[in-house]
Amino acid sequence: MTFVLPIGPQHPALKEPEFFRFEVKGEEIVDVDIHLGYAHRGIEEALSRRNYKHNIYLSERICGICNVVHTTTYCQAVEQLAGVEPPERAKYIRAIIMELERIHSHLLWLGIAAFQIGFNTLFMLAWRDREYVMDLREMISGSRVHSATNTIGGVRRDVKTEHVPTILRGLEKLERSTKYYINLFGSDRTILARCTNLGVLSKKDAIKFCAVGPLARASDVKTDIRADDPYGAYDALSFNVVIEREGDVLAKGMVRLREILESIRIVRQALKEMPGGPIRTRVGLQMPPNETVERTEAPRGELLYYIRSNGTDTPERVRVRTPTYGNFASMKSMFVGGTVAEIPIVMWGIDPCFGCNDRVTLVDSRTGKTRIVSFDELRRRRK
Amino acid sequence: MMEVVDFVINSLVFPGLLFVSLVGLLYVGIDRKVTGHMQHRIGPPIWQEYLDMGKLLSKEDITPSAAQSFVFNIVPLVSLGAIVAVMLFLPVTSAQPALISVADLIVIIYLLNIPAICVMLGGYSSGSPFGASGAGRYVVQLLSYEFVFILAIIAVVARVGSLSLGTVVVYQAQQGWLVLDWRLLPAAIAALIAAQGKLLRVPFDIPEAESEIVHGALTEYSGPKLAIWRLAYDIETIVVAGLLVALFFGGPTTYVIGGTQIPGVVDFLIKTLAIVLLTTTLRNIMARLRIDQALKFYWSFAALLAIISLVLVLAVP
Amino acid sequence: MPRILPQVLKNVLRKPVTVKYPYVRVEPPEGYRGRPVIDKEKCIRCWLCIRACPDRAISVSKETKKPSIWLGRCTFCGECAEVCPTRAIAMTKEFELATYDIQQAKSE
Ligand code: SF4
Ligand code: SF4
Repeated sequence: MTFVLPIGPQHPALKEPEFFRFEVKGEEIVDVDIHLGYAHRGIEEALSRRNYKHNIYLSERICGICNVVHTTTYCQAVEQLAGVEPPERAKYIRAIIMELERIHSHLLWLGIAAFQIGFNTLFMLAWRDREYVMDLREMISGSRVHSATNTIGGVRRDVKTEHVPTILRGLEKLERSTKYYINLFGSDRTILARCTNLGVLSKKDAIKFCAVGPLARASDVKTDIRADDPYGAYDALSFNVVIEREGDVLAKGMVRLREILESIRIVRQALKEMPGGPIRTRVGLQMPPNETVERTEAPRGELLYYIRSNGTDTPERVRVRTPTYGNFASMKSMFVGGTVAEIPIVMWGIDPCFGCNDRVTLVDSRTGKTRIVSFDELRRRRK
Repeated sequence: MMEVVDFVINSLVFPGLLFVSLVGLLYVGIDRKVTGHMQHRIGPPIWQEYLDMGKLLSKEDITPSAAQSFVFNIVPLVSLGAIVAVMLFLPVTSAQPALISVADLIVIIYLLNIPAICVMLGGYSSGSPFGASGAGRYVVQLLSYEFVFILAIIAVVARVGSLSLGTVVVYQAQQGWLVLDWRLLPAAIAALIAAQGKLLRVPFDIPEAESEIVHGALTEYSGPKLAIWRLAYDIETIVVAGLLVALFFGGPTTYVIGGTQIPGVVDFLIKTLAIVLLTTTLRNIMARLRIDQALKFYWSFAALLAIISLVLVLAVP
Repeated sequence: MPRILPQVLKNVLRKPVTVKYPYVRVEPPEGYRGRPVIDKEKCIRCWLCIRACPDRAISVSKETKKPSIWLGRCTFCGECAEVCPTRAIAMTKEFELATYDIQQAKSE
């Protein structure tokens, strides 16, 4: 006898509203369904009603955590439509800010993962170090979160020479603490007890369900758009694609933590090799009719923008495919067979970002195989 | 007549309700402050717990209609009463507790379980899935730590040869602290681990894991009732610490320093604070276990420690 | 032994990284994008800022006939300050903008 355990739209394990329907048999999960759309804001429609310039700031607000990646992808797509190439220096600045963003996103992940398993000290320490990145970003771009640095044809703000030593010093601090966290995450007994062999995504399933980003890399799938399809300055920058084999929550965490080290390397290299010159080329806003697809590696995985222009200064259609959306398909294979107590940490292993994701609503088409237990009934059942 | 007055003063003022509330709230405040510093932040001021208590007491009490029942309303008070009663059995100023009975250790073990049972009742009667699953987890947790706790106490009892806490303290005054006795060291560690579970501290805060089940059994409580729960919990902290002090750390001792006599209560306060700080450290260096892992840990590792101790006490004279 | 123990004990002795916010303030860095302010003397009423603002936060004030920024919509992108030919709009370091008075939520 299975019954349905509703998780969400409001639930302490979720930081954003989303609804998950877990079918459980006792403590064991036998099936999971996702109902998307609780954070639907109509952004794609809104994107096709503003001009290309104004859209930058709208696409920045699709996701707060990975806003630079969103604007970079958007701007690269529009630059392709316009047929211009941003100056070299602009590409490097974009890479620097994007990597700082990846560092802060992964540290945020570490903090909340620690919170989900009740390790509040690690949570606080990870977020303390995240503050250093935020300060660097504030210094470079003028705001802790929304950098508003990208623009069509380049960047709006230069990385000043007097900032470089501060950035390097900040990176040093981050490198030290990241190494400490890697050591801690892989050796603390209680963390291992809560994270190993949980929510395992096998390599086969990761490929079958087209998992992206750290989730796929934790399952031994070597996929990283920065390396597979280099964009911007990534051609010239050298870095390793981090992979782990196990595919459990621990591996997912390890991939993210080791990626922080790679990001630190990238930022250092970019700061050193950054060419001089202009940071911006002026681009007219009238785009010839065309269409384009642009993809980048966001902290959570592959981010894809599709833009169709029609000769005016407004795009006809913008489609955004965020990494979390790409990862939902593999959820089932991670949850099924696990227990209810594992839901929060396994869920967080995906690093879901529902704000990013909810621009479409999927309608569940499966018909009554199981009975839905209403909330009242659940209450009477007392479990 | 005098006895009645004595009893009332004992239970309401010292070492009863007033004294333990003030000390308990302060200790949890210190715990929170130290936690803050351990996590490299400032943390709340140490009197924060008093402010929180005042805030909760002045707030509106919202009880969901599904939870409106006699049990739901009465359990906070029962639990507070039980835990204050334990305080009367603890030696606070001298080896003699405020209330004397022949086998007070058994009474204490019983009374210490009442708050736990109250939490479960409150959770089950709250009509919320979080409350119910918190209570369910609490049952499992109780089954795990209680066995270890009782075994550790039995080891002490077997060594001292008396079921009275006063005698245990007197024994330690003559023979030295029991924790320094190599036969009882494993039992002391086991008792500390059990206390960590009793006080719902990481890694055993499973019944109220906020990232999984909100606030567990107490999810639906609010306002004054929640304040009473908090008070009971804070008092429980000092009571459990006090019990450990009496069992293993020599209990309250009076010293004479420079001609003035330091009353035993000072010693009691210092020792309990040390135990509270020890649990604070423990809770800040670990992640929460899953309930099945906690059960396994208690029944294998912690129980083994206690049993070793018991066997040693019985076998090695 | 738990790995984090030395770190935790060290933290007790160190100065905390957090500050008591309303009493101790951390100054935002140079170039921070806070509340935009308009210097009405410099404004030449070219309305470029209105066209540049991505979320139509700027309107023309009825009384002064100069642009007025409604901070409820402003996203602090700084486009208006960038586009203004006379540098009449500047981004300040002010970031505590919560208010009960709707008049306060405007930059004129
Ligand atoms: S800062 Fe940006 S959003 Fe705010 S008024 Fe200026 S252009 Fe508009
Ligand atoms: S762009 Fe500057 S000068 Fe033009 S209207 Fe706006 S504030 Fe005035």
